[in-house]
Amino acid sequence: MGLKSIATETVFASTAYVLAFFITFAGLMPIQNMFFPDFHSSASLLFLPHGVRVLSAWLLGWRSIPALLPGVFFTYYYLAGEKTFMLSRLMGISIAVLVAPLVFHIAAKLFYDARSRPGHDPCWPCVMGLGVIAAVIGGILTNLAFGSPPLDYFAFFIGDVAGLFFLMMALMLTFRLWRTKTTR
Amino acid sequence: MNDISKLAELRKLLLGMERALGLEDLSAVERDIYYAASDLSKQAQGVRTTGLLTHALIQDVSRPTFFRALKSLVNKGYLSQSAPSRRGVYVVNSPNS
Repeated sequence: MGLKSIATETVFASTAYVLAFFITFAGLMPIQNMFFPDFHSSASLLFLPHGVRVLSAWLLGWRSIPALLPGVFFTYYYLAGEKTFMLSRLMGISIAVLVAPLVFHIAAKLFYDARSRPGHDPCWPCVMGLGVIAAVIGGILTNLAFGSPPLDYFAFFIGDVAGLFFLMMALMLTFRLWRTKTTR
Repeated sequence: MNDISKLAELRKLLLGMERALGLEDLSAVERDIYYAASDLSKQAQGVRTTGLLTHALIQDVSRPTFFRALKSLVNKGYLSQSAPSRRGVYVVNSPNS
């Protein structure tokens, strides 16, 4: 694995994470606030970055940690500024990059290796299932680190699962459109 | 895995999802031809190849692609040849029939 390849992975994964973050917070959150004005939580109910975390973990395995770290750090710094260096937020960053590859690794050791590898057909329900498990674990750990109210635990879970599903759907439709354009 | 094969893996994963959701049955060109044939069959019994070729949905499709997709639609049962005496005329079948 060359340095160039690692750099390419980092640029793609972190850019995808930051893009998903801005689509979520600049595009989807205002819509969420419009439809659910009584929902008093800062959590997004359609958190696309979780999809980027899961797909990166599926595709890159442990290498998704350094690949996503700059993107995750940037989003925390964008929201919290200097407070990013508080222990709770540093824990949040660590949880964000560690949980998904850890879930894929443990699943591979215990029952099924769903990670992307040559000569193995990808299993999308497995990726989705492990993404849901990562959402549960990541949500619990992040909210424990932040000392959030119980509502946030549910909001994080719903947001992560919906974000993963919608990101996969959006990518599926994008690839489909691309195929349509190129086969004409 | 190099960067291209990672992209290919991602496409394979999402193609599996597309198949499971039942969206991959017809290609985009096949679907356009089927829509055009359904549209034309409202006006007359049997759809002519010449009519299909001039339909708005088919205008960007090259002739070889069109004929390949038409043959595929016949093979999949979405269209069937009209009476042998009426070459180039097709009958639209329901996808579930």
